[in-house]
Amino acid sequence: MATNVQSIGAGVSETWLSFRFELLKHLKRRRLFIVAGLAIVIPLLFYIYYYKEHPTAADNFASTSLALMNILVLISAAMFAGDAICGEFEKKTSLLLFSTPQKRSSIFAGKFVAALMATFLVVSLYYLVLTLQIGQLFGWGNVPAELGKSFAAALIYSTAAVSIVFFVSSILKRSMSATIVGLLALLMILPIIVMIITLLNHEPWYIVTYSAGLITSVLGGSSGFGPGQHGNVMRQFTPTFAKGIAVMAAYAVVALAAGMAIAVRKED
Amino acid sequence: MEYAIRTENLAKTFGKTFKALDGVSLNIKRGEVVGYVGPNGAGKTTTIKILTGLIRPTSGHAYVNSIDVAARPRDALRTIGALIEVPGVYDYLTPHEILTYFGRVYGMRRDLIDRRIEETLELVRLPDWEHKKTGTFSTGMLRRLAIAKAILHKPDILILDEPVLGLDPKGILEVRELLRQFRSEGMTVFLSSHLLSEVAEVCDSVIFLDKGKVISSDSIESIGQRMDHGVVAVRFLRPLSPQDTERLRSIDLIKSIDVKNSTVRLHYDGKPESSVKILRLLVSLNLDVVSFANEGVGLEDYYVSVMSDEKGVN
Repeated sequence: MATNVQSIGAGVSETWLSFRFELLKHLKRRRLFIVAGLAIVIPLLFYIYYYKEHPTAADNFASTSLALMNILVLISAAMFAGDAICGEFEKKTSLLLFSTPQKRSSIFAGKFVAALMATFLVVSLYYLVLTLQIGQLFGWGNVPAELGKSFAAALIYSTAAVSIVFFVSSILKRSMSATIVGLLALLMILPIIVMIITLLNHEPWYIVTYSAGLITSVLGGSSGFGPGQHGNVMRQFTPTFAKGIAVMAAYAVVALAAGMAIAVRKED
Repeated sequence: MEYAIRTENLAKTFGKTFKALDGVSLNIKRGEVVGYVGPNGAGKTTTIKILTGLIRPTSGHAYVNSIDVAARPRDALRTIGALIEVPGVYDYLTPHEILTYFGRVYGMRRDLIDRRIEETLELVRLPDWEHKKTGTFSTGMLRRLAIAKAILHKPDILILDEPVLGLDPKGILEVRELLRQFRSEGMTVFLSSHLLSEVAEVCDSVIFLDKGKVISSDSIESIGQRMDHGVVAVRFLRPLSPQDTERLRSIDLIKSIDVKNSTVRLHYDGKPESSVKILRLLVSLNLDVVSFANEGVGLEDYYVSVMSDEKGVN
């Protein structure tokens, strides 16, 4: 019993060390600054190039400004988690890192948490800037309550996206491949599958990128596919909040567990 | 006896058929400096990767300070310092940042980490580079930084895999000097190398590995004695006169001589007692002996002979 407690304590301590080291690496590589910069600039650009031309209501402004949140989450996940596992093997830093008295699972857990926290920071910055804008433009009383639900959905989607890229990083050998495959999967492949399933008149509730539509749909924005331009009517689906959150959480847990299981067994 | 490093029938198979290690058993005593020698692909790095927890053996066990590395890696690796192959470094970080992290991994206090960083960087001659990004470092400097990381926590056992690979002659000399220092400090050093001169210079004993199997192991001293082929090279103050040469030929213990300027190679029966008697006789003949050295066969020749034997067996 005491040995188990000691082992858990050592694991937590190692994860904390690995987390701090990863954050230092993100800061030193300036990746965190770059993505955080995007999180501040993008909502400002929406204000300058969209709102000034098309003044609208607060919730509509919020959902339009969040249209790019999905892409920002993916960029962040790819940048912070893409090389988390395969990068150590590719650059041979694994020879320094894994020959030390710490469990690989702790090292990778620290890496995952660091990538997740960095992505959370980016998402939070985006919502902070957006909230300030809404407060300034429409008055603080008009900040939509659904913005909180949208923020919660964005955080859960961030967790799923980081987990999926983390999993890709565990199965591929090159950081660049992991980053590109992770981005392609979440940005193109899964959305295409969602589109095909929707065209077949089924709700793709089990696809994580469909659930990510919650980020804007809770504010009344579009999340799926509507009537076609040429008059062909296509049914529009909108994810329900509870189911969407559950699906994203499931993707996060499964991808993380699979990524960790592969990573700890990976050999040079 | 408790060994610093011990392996029992260590085997590692990659894929379904490639046996990188095939029943390797090693016993390395505390304070020993042991060379691990073999051709490329012999299984040296695989052994070292198992000893440092980087890969798991297919069968067999590896122990460090009597702790099974695969079963208790945290405990086993705490007392090891390792330099494996050519490790990568985080080129956007400084030696201070990298070593601080590893110091924390080994559970060192902040003040101790700072002190050890200073000491180790001084030892590997990188004190002025502590706060510079490693992306600007040469291969030799990176290798020395990796050695600093390996000794940061003052390990009992140092495992080095080809520590001079890619270094220039000055770098090789510096690493060799470091190894001598570690030996004088009583550290157990397990050194994999394909440079036999390096092994002969710094190691107490040597283990020869080929195709995943240990084919020979012995102390450097006894290899030297075993390979003594009965020739002593004597250098005199000046070239010998024909009369002096004849006096040499007349010594019973000497079978034949080769004369080249002031150096004469004397062939005898190879026994140490005979060597002593010959030296005494030379001095008694009033020949001005400058040096008198047994011409043993080098480690390279021994290596070739054991590898040839192995091929013959196969």
